[in-house]
Amino acid sequence: MNVDELVRDSLREQAAEQPPLAPGFAERVLTVRRRRRTRSFATVAAATAAVVAVAVAVPLLDSGKDELRLSTEMNRSDIIAHPDQSPPRDLIAAGDVALAAWFTVDTVKTSKDTAVPVRTYRVLDQETGKYVKDTRWSQVAVAPGMRTAAVLEKDLPARRIGLLDLLTGEVERWIPVDRGVASVEFSPDGTRLVATTYSKNPDLLARAANDLDGDGKKNDFMREEWSKSYRTGFYIVDVDSGGTEWTEVPVEEPENGLVIVNPRQDFSFSDDGKLVRSGLSTESYDQYYDLKGAEVDKPAAEKYLTWLVKAGLSPNGKLAAGDFAGGAKTTASEIVDPRTGKRLHKIPGQQLLAWADNERLVAWDITAGDSEFHNALVLVTIGSDKTLRLSGARKGDDGAAGRWNPVFATR
Amino acid sequence: MDAAGQESFREFVAGRSSALLKTAVLLSGGDRHAAEDLLQNALIKAAGRWQRIDEPEAYVRRILYRQQVSRWRLKWRRRELTVAEPPESGGGAADGAAGVELRLVMRGALARLTARQRTVLVLRYFEDLPEGDVARILGCSVGTVRSTTHRSLARLRELAPELAALGPAPAEQQPSRDFSPVEVRP
Repeated sequence: MNVDELVRDSLREQAAEQPPLAPGFAERVLTVRRRRRTRSFATVAAATAAVVAVAVAVPLLDSGKDELRLSTEMNRSDIIAHPDQSPPRDLIAAGDVALAAWFTVDTVKTSKDTAVPVRTYRVLDQETGKYVKDTRWSQVAVAPGMRTAAVLEKDLPARRIGLLDLLTGEVERWIPVDRGVASVEFSPDGTRLVATTYSKNPDLLARAANDLDGDGKKNDFMREEWSKSYRTGFYIVDVDSGGTEWTEVPVEEPENGLVIVNPRQDFSFSDDGKLVRSGLSTESYDQYYDLKGAEVDKPAAEKYLTWLVKAGLSPNGKLAAGDFAGGAKTTASEIVDPRTGKRLHKIPGQQLLAWADNERLVAWDITAGDSEFHNALVLVTIGSDKTLRLSGARKGDDGAAGRWNPVFATR
Repeated sequence: MDAAGQESFREFVAGRSSALLKTAVLLSGGDRHAAEDLLQNALIKAAGRWQRIDEPEAYVRRILYRQQVSRWRLKWRRRELTVAEPPESGGGAADGAAGVELRLVMRGALARLTARQRTVLVLRYFEDLPEGDVARILGCSVGTVRSTTHRSLARLRELAPELAALGPAPAEQQPSRDFSPVEVRP
């Protein structure tokens, strides 16, 4: 007998032994699929039906061996809050969204006159449900479903993109790129990445000529260049195959000494994943491009989105998270019609970060009267004044070392 | 997917999922739970374009194979699989009780191959596909299929010294040239 014959016999024997699947497998597939389609343009009615179906199907989904499940699948509670934790140690989630990672920023001097802001990430360990320090990365983007993150190493621009397995904490695969990248973002369905290319590290800082923080010492650093952009374009990366396609996007020459983009101005996907967009530092504030790099008009469905508000469009596409709408002593944010810009709701929250579902968002907010910087993650609901604390409040002022910054993903 | 689509999807899953699961179990090295998840993910992808697929089974199988090779979505922790007999007890002959033992040894060794190696062997020896078809399904060259087959069989022999008594497969007699992409680990 040859070894290939034994392989054949062993495989056939093993296949023949398999008992059939339990009934209801099609339902399980359809239910999970509905859950994952977080960014669809489904009607509110359909979305509501899906939510009901998920609630019914949970026992089915939990039939596997628990130790192999993602922590976000083992604990599917609608709200997982840790209001005593700042920075967070254990999984925080609400609705369809979860805190996937957080990072702190420290300015590290690289020479007498130069420095670089260094991010230190804590990434959700899907085995334990805890945020674990991982100093390897300068950028982390977590895919929908929270099984995988795209990561870049410390030296930017990076020449390869890692796909980090959140169960094992190991890089499952490296995707090499010919041009250096300094940012990665997943498409809404998680099948592609847009990676922004730069010819030089966009985060570099130079010693400022003046005392910026007013402490009497000229020891502050600021962005090196405002008159020049090192951004060169973007890659679209097919995650499954690792195929990459680069598109050049030239930055216009400055007219008044300032370019129209920030030193770091990363590309991200439009809500339907068909276009990429970039913020601008001047009016119109957003520019969309097709995947060949040609400038196109804003899609009608996201005409009044702005890149400064992280939450973007609601899962059903009907609402856009808007800007701060509070007063001198109160916090509030607005929800607008993404097609007309008309304010539809005013809700609590200082800054809207991510949609939990079509009616609720995760936001930063403060306790009334406290410093505007001492904000905690909260859950806010359209049509309700109540907020629910998800994390403890951050300490220190903006830019203080050790302040944590959240990274969200759909769970 | 509309109601009619859902109905035909349910019919397809009811009729074909057990056969598809067999392949998924082999691809997963015998891990039934990983196999169910692999199949579930493949079916979710197929459901997304259900009404545009001409041959659902071929489509789902292709996703199964490809998904398994690029396991970034489905990386389960490596687990030791329980086999009926410890590997060292395997005999030399391949018939009767010794044959059963040898197949169990082989099963244990298959479970310890990489996903890519195991997928190529499943396609070649379980699905009985020619090298050209395997290459098309996995989106690689025939040379890569050939070299992966060669290396996988060699690896099986390393993992299970009991296989030494077996004759070489035709694929082992071809020169091994590695055309596959190099995976860099940190």
